Amino acid sequence: MSTAKHKGKGPQSLTANELRGGASVWLDANMEWSRDFGDAFKTEDENHIEKMRAKGDADANENLVVGVYFIDIEPDSGLPVRYREKFRVKGPSYDTAEELGLNAKKAK
Amino acid sequence: MYRYDEFDHEVVQSRVKQFRGQVERRLSGAITEEQFRPLRLQNGLYLQLHAYMMRVAVPYGTLSSKQMRQLGMIADKYDRGYGHVTTRQNFQFNWPELTHVPDLLQDLADVEMHGFQTSGNCIRNVTSDPYAGATAEEIEDPRPTAELLRQWSTLHPEFAFLPRKFKIAVVASKTDRAVIRAHDIGIEVTANEKGEVGYHIIVGGGLGRTPIIGQTLRAFLPREELLPYLEATLRVYNRYGRRDNKYKARIKILVTETGIDAFREMVEAEYEALEPLDIAVSAQEVERISSYFAPPDFENLPEHCDAFQAKLISEKDFADWAGNNLAEHKVPGYSIVNVSLKPTDLAPGDITADQMRAVADMAEAYSFGEIRTTHQQNIVLPHVKKSDLYSLFEKLKEAKLHAGNIGLITDIICCPGMDFCALATARSIPVSQAIAQRFSDPARQRAIGEMQIKISGCINACGHHHVGHIGILGLEKAGVEFYQVKLGGDSSENAAVGKVTGPGFSQEELVDAIERLVDYYIDVRAEDERFIDSFKRLGMAPFKEALYAA
Ligand code: SF4
Repeated sequence: MSTAKHKGKGPQSLTANELRGGASVWLDANMEWSRDFGDAFKTEDENHIEKMRAKGDADANENLVVGVYFIDIEPDSGLPVRYREKFRVKGPSYDTAEELGLNAKKAK
Repeated sequence: MYRYDEFDHEVVQSRVKQFRGQVERRLSGAITEEQFRPLRLQNGLYLQLHAYMMRVAVPYGTLSSKQMRQLGMIADKYDRGYGHVTTRQNFQFNWPELTHVPDLLQDLADVEMHGFQTSGNCIRNVTSDPYAGATAEEIEDPRPTAELLRQWSTLHPEFAFLPRKFKIAVVASKTDRAVIRAHDIGIEVTANEKGEVGYHIIVGGGLGRTPIIGQTLRAFLPREELLPYLEATLRVYNRYGRRDNKYKARIKILVTETGIDAFREMVEAEYEALEPLDIAVSAQEVERISSYFAPPDFENLPEHCDAFQAKLISEKDFADWAGNNLAEHKVPGYSIVNVSLKPTDLAPGDITADQMRAVADMAEAYSFGEIRTTHQQNIVLPHVKKSDLYSLFEKLKEAKLHAGNIGLITDIICCPGMDFCALATARSIPVSQAIAQRFSDPARQRAIGEMQIKISGCINACGHHHVGHIGILGLEKAGVEFYQVKLGGDSSENAAVGKVTGPGFSQEELVDAIERLVDYYIDVRAEDERFIDSFKRLGMAPFKEALYAA
């Protein structure tokens, strides 16, 4: 089952969510999932894209990730083209936990 | 307060066990995501933009202090130390991990809570008046009716796969604090000329991409006919509701396309054909359910409270808060207390775990352990003695829950928007914060008076922007957010859908535009005239001019 059809234009990255934790992840150059978009592998090379697709499908089948799909990348900025995807990269612009330092408090 | 009976208890507990098994099977690969997705949604677990999101049902917005304390524990244990009150009176947690959710559900089940009916095309969690059981305006407490509907609709096999989700709200006052006219079915408990109590049934309201105000299906339905009549209505919808197009599948489209009279005929025909009294509930059963909502042991107090009056004179900040956040209670010597979750610097409806525990403590000390959530994303302590109000205010201050802005311009309804929601087109939280900060001066807010700003981050309208006095819809074009404005919406018993003013604004332009609009209103209002009344009197044109005057 192909979960990650590549239909985009220009450089591509592959994204998903971790099945267990739910965090957004991107596939890096070593074909590992990273929670940091900075690590994301961005390529226009069809061979690489095919490898990424295969890895995405395999890891979805292995129940590591869920909702695998390709995203278009702006060649200049290296950021996702779609506004929504930019947001997935940055995380919420506002989160009460960040605002009030609740995570830090919890970690104590 | 209602307690789940043995049947409910068993169902909730067995669902936790069942879901634990489903999660295990999902993680092991025994079931696929396609198979798992409806199962997790049926338990309130969504996958959002950045993480899973757990929606917890709060039937008719009623919570006990014990439940609130448990929600606080859950926020700390499985989330990031806070939760969010939604416009359907539910609770949401933004960051749980799938592997923790079975334990989270067990902790919920321990206090008779769950995520049923918070997702999917079923009859959703029934909402109601947060002042239920406390306001003198009501004919009776609407919650026994809401509870009856909960029992009827929970796991109703025939209505588990409706054409689309189905929302019901119940009130028992002329003042509508539950937006019943924007629900698939709105129910108003009412009395006929003979003084018999029954129901005014409104159908086909809704927001979303096609906002429609509901219409009367039956002006008076005798009490015992409620469930059979709703069953007939749902059957007609289940059969004729459009399954071919998701955007046309709500009952409002069926009612609009069919016409209310023809729709009513279809319902009445179905009702005639129903097995007589098949599912009608006996008076004894209604009595039994109502007994769970018996009033708490109110003291016999005079209406006037010297200590309270004295504090109103000596403590200005208390007087300002009390002037705005209290509502009249039906029992002399008591007040309904609105606790605002809209401080000007935090996201509307968010509440920290510490604040949840503080609210639980306050409810125990001052409000018979009772708490309500509101569709305005605030909290209500329904039964507080006037003599306790000042101590309560001090506790609210300690917990930073003392914003005195209920119903004012900074009491903004705001959905999570692009910061959290996978369906969003733009952010809504920063917009609400920018507006709240612009109008942060409490004296200015009070001078402006009642004003409802409602913001949605997409066309789905969870932030009720269609019925805001000022409604704001976040959109995006070519990577830039912009905000469309509607004016003249009304969520009250005089429900109305606002009209779009014209081209959208950037966030910065929007805040200036709203300020111009508000200043214009202050200039032209007649004495004591609310914004919405001035708008109705003068019409769109001058307000639109003010909005775009830059
Ligand atoms: S209105 Fe749109 S953005 Fe806001 S919560 Fe609903 S679906 Fe999400």
